[in-house]
Formats: sequence, structure tokens, C-alpha cells
Amino acid sequence: MRFLQRLHDEQVNSSSGDGDPGTDGLLLQLRSEGDSLLAAGDEAIRRALAGSNSEDFLRTSRQQGGQ
Amino acid sequence: MSTHPANLSADLLPRLCGADIELGNFIAGVVRAGGTGYEASRALLAEIDGLPIRHDSYVNNWWSSAAASGYQYGKQSGYGASSGAYAYDYQDVGRRFLLSNGGCAYIDLDHVELCLPEVINAFDHVAAWHGMLRIMRAALHRANQSRSPNSRIQVLVNNSDGQGNSYGSHLNFMITRRAFDNIFLRKSHYLSFLASFQISNILLTGQGKVGAENGRPSTPYQISQRADFFEIIQGPQTTFKRPIVNARDETLCGRGVADDPSAPARLHVIFFDSALAHGSALFRVGPMQLILTLLELGHVNSRLILDDPLDALQSYSHDPTLQTRAALINGELLTLVELQSAYLEEVKRYAAQGVFTGIVPDYEEIIALWEGVVNNFAKQDLMAAARSGIDWVLKLMAIERSMDQHAGLDWDSPEIKVIDHLYSSLDDDGLYWAYESGGLTRQLVTPEHIAYFTDNPPADTRAWTRAMLLRRAAHGSVFSVDWDTITFKMRGRYNWPTYRTFNMANPLGYTQADAQEIFDSSLDFTELLDALEADSCGATLTADALTTRQQQGEEHHALSTTAT
Repeated sequence: MRFLQRLHDEQVNSSSGDGDPGTDGLLLQLRSEGDSLLAAGDEAIRRALAGSNSEDFLRTSRQQGGQ
Repeated sequence: MSTHPANLSADLLPRLCGADIELGNFIAGVVRAGGTGYEASRALLAEIDGLPIRHDSYVNNWWSSAAASGYQYGKQSGYGASSGAYAYDYQDVGRRFLLSNGGCAYIDLDHVELCLPEVINAFDHVAAWHGMLRIMRAALHRANQSRSPNSRIQVLVNNSDGQGNSYGSHLNFMITRRAFDNIFLRKSHYLSFLASFQISNILLTGQGKVGAENGRPSTPYQISQRADFFEIIQGPQTTFKRPIVNARDETLCGRGVADDPSAPARLHVIFFDSALAHGSALFRVGPMQLILTLLELGHVNSRLILDDPLDALQSYSHDPTLQTRAALINGELLTLVELQSAYLEEVKRYAAQGVFTGIVPDYEEIIALWEGVVNNFAKQDLMAAARSGIDWVLKLMAIERSMDQHAGLDWDSPEIKVIDHLYSSLDDDGLYWAYESGGLTRQLVTPEHIAYFTDNPPADTRAWTRAMLLRRAAHGSVFSVDWDTITFKMRGRYNWPTYRTFNMANPLGYTQADAQEIFDSSLDFTELLDALEADSCGATLTADALTTRQQQGEEHHALSTTAT
């Protein structure tokens, strides 16, 4: 499930109900803008995914409950 | 922008704000029974300079006077922790106040906790918060310098470990005692109005989280890190059965004010997530300042009250598509965006009448930004919301992009939870920092403004004199520090030590405008304390004193912004 896709679908359903072509354009625009801007985090994500065993990382990140 | 204190009275106070924020800290890759928070937090705190200094442990000072000074959990007679006497309290270890900006740092249940200096302006809060993160980041780098690559300390600016443990990101607002009593003791619709507003505000302040905790129904992604952990509407506790509205009553305005009806109260807000993006950081404080002003004035619109706030919080948080509707007490069903928008409209209606003038600095700018982001959500323009600095949207986009780019990853993949955590990593691997430096999110305060609050206290609150006194005190002479007092060890007759406690009950007193001249002219430290005590500002916390302080408020704020 992709939430961004669902948001788009909701918007299609609520805007015109007849498949307004403008809303497809909106999603494409969202993805296009997102691609260029979110690319800033790609390297950090690649390092995170490659750097260590994720299950180990999560196991060691356990915290004491706080306030 | 310009404000004038035309409507100040004893029933209405400037919205002073502080914050005490716990961090996630552990040693990456090291598995140990009970976790590594104990070692990580102490190694980090040892890298943060502050006063008082003690040499009785490797974090210099792990004693506090929390117990010794009569602090009683959640009791009105209780009093906040200070940092000098001798009792051990796991919730207040090694507290030291910073000479740089007047804030403080300590260890609370193995979490490093950062406390911001008191500010009045919401934009100053954002700058002071990011200034404190800079201080913490430098401490993290120093702590890791001597550690092997296999045992590096990791710091997460979040509120949940994804394994059922939560830690707080608290705000503190000065409000009138009358308003505090109305919320908790006299008028239940005031409490419900505030709780419903806080819930609606997760739209702007949530950091986002993969999964659910604390026995809540499973969900791939939710808006709030903390929502799963709130179980009741109100109460004084913070570590279990957490309440949406916290009733802890500690004034931090002098020990003699408990029975003074004109003395202000402190509203301890434990509800919100930690924020990294500037938008979310601002919207934790600015809208609360406005809503609390409405509460003080008695402008409480009961139409906006949720029928079942706890259910609504869960439902709203667990639906990032923002389609879920929750019932108000009149039966109306509103989405999260619609409820937040209704509160915004309420604030705008009263703003047009001038009620925030002189109480909430820059309220027009706060409202304009607030309206802009709510409109983004109303149009389902999430990219615009992300660019406005809303953490949960940024994180959601990052995670869905990761799943698009890496085949085989889905919401249950541990790698996705790692990305959730690393969004808030304080270190160079932090995803938020990558987005900030890449220009994805709008910065609401300048790097210079942040740098100012890294190295300087706010000019318009008592934090200024606190920091200056700590800088001027002789080595070894600071015995204890609390928000409203500093006790110095002085040299007495025949060199016998004597102790002198300097009181700063009024949080709006002892500003730079009040005290700069005294600091510039006094010859020695004793004379300096004498002169400060002789000055009429701030020593006594009364409604009149607060009014006098506020009448100079705009001037003080101008000083702080000019300095940036």
C-alpha cells in the first residue's frame, strides 16, 4: 500500500468523479517534484540500507521508557 | 508584526515558553541486557559543559536535589529539580546549566534531556531548539571520537523506539493561575477544548512513525510518534498512563508563589512529538500560544470539542490519508484537517479583534504560516506541506520512495523501520539533515539566528541573567542552579564559606535591558549580586511586575532579533 497513491485516488474520487485528467497530472507532478527534492536523501538511505544488519540495529536501539 | 500591550491585565500573561526534550540514545551494534542507554547517555552528557561542576562521578555530577528539595511527583507543593544538593534521582542525573544560552542538560531515565532557555517568541523557540541540537551534535561527535567504529553512540531525536517505549518532548507555557485552575479544577470544557486542539495539531507537529505500539491496532504508518501512548485525558503522571493534557503543577517561579493567586502557573505539555523540520517545530509552540490566550480570555468554543478525544487521536494518527472522521460532541463528523482548520478559524476571528496583541509576538506571521500549511493539506498537496517543513510528510515521502527504489521492501521490512529511526538521527547519517541541506524544506529561522541561540541566551527573559551570572561566577563558586535560583558559595569572614542564593522568580525579569548596565558597571561579584537584588525588576513576581516587564517586551525582542 502506498499512501501517496491512495491520497491521489481519494482526490480523483472527490474532485470530479469522472477521471479528471488534471489529477493524474497532479500525481505525476508530485512524483516529479518529489524525485528531484527527495533525491537529497538517497545517499543517506543507501548507506543506511547497506551499512548494517537492520534487525541488529533495531535490537540495539531499544530504549528505557521515559517521560 | 508590531504589538502593543493594550490589553494586558492580571488575567492575561505573555506566552513564555520553555521545553524539556528527551533523546533516544544507544550504542549501535552493541547488544546488552537492559540496553546501552545508561552508558550512551553518560558519555554524551560528559561532553556538555555546564555548571555546577562536581567531581564525584565520571559525568562530573550525577547528584541532584530533586528529592532533597522537596520535589514530589505531580504534587502542587512539589518543586522542580535543581542541580546542587545530594540525593539520587534517576529522572534528574547530572544536571548542568549552560553558560552559553542559559538552558540545561541532564539525564532522565537514561535519556539525555535538553532543556531550552525560556523564550517568548515562537521563532526564537525554533532557533533555540536547533541551537541546542547543534550543541548536542558537537557533543556526540566528541563522544564518538574515542570510540571504535563498532561501538558508536547514536542519538535519535524521536519519541519512541518502536518496541513499546516512549520518551517525551515537553513544552512549558506560562499561563495565569486562573486559567490553570479553569482547565484542571473548575471547567471541564476548557480541558476538552485544549485536548481537542492538541489532537488536531498532530497534523502539523507529528513526526510520523512506522507501525503501532502499546497494544494499539497495527498500522503501516501513522502521523504521531506519541499518539499510541496516551491513555487518559488528564493527569499529573508522565511515564505511565500518559494523559493528553498533563496536570503537573510546578511553577518554577519562586517557592513563595504557591498560594499567590496573582502568580502564574506553568502548563506542562507532554503531548507533542519532537520536531526537526522548522514548520513542525514552530507549530508546536505558536498555535499553542494562541489557543492558550483564548483559554485565558475565556473564549472557549465548545462546538470544537471531540466527543471521544482518545479514540479520535488513535483514529486520526493511524490514517495518513487524512480521510478519517471523528465525532464532535454535537455529532458533527470532522476530518483531522477540518478540525485543525476550525481551530485556525477561531484564532483568526479573535486575531481580528486584536486579542493577541502584546501577548503572542509575531502572531500575524504565525497565523499566516499556519493557514498556508492547513490549506496545503486541504488541497491534499503533500509536497507543499513537506516543503513547509512538516516532519511526518517528509518521512512518509522518504519511506515510500525507498520502497519504490528498492524491490522487496515493504512496511514490515526492518529496513523501513531503520529509515524511520534514521530520519531523526542527530549524526551525519540523519535523513532530515540531508533534506535540510538539499533545500527541500523551508527554513523559518536563519542559520545566524540558530547560531545566536547556540552561543547566547534570549535577551528578553531571565535566561539572560542566568547565563551571565554563570559566566561571571568564580571557578567552583556555583553551588546549585535551578530555573529561578542560583546558589553561590562565597568566601565569608575568616575565609569560612557562606552560601548566597540569588532569586529570579519572575521569568520575564532580569532581561538584558534590565541588567546589562549592572553587569557593565559592577566591580566585583558581590557588588553585582547586590546591585541585581537592589534593582526593582523581577525580584518579586506579581501581576504588576509582569505587566511592567511585558510593556518592555517588544523592545527586548527587538534586541534579540537585532543581535541575529
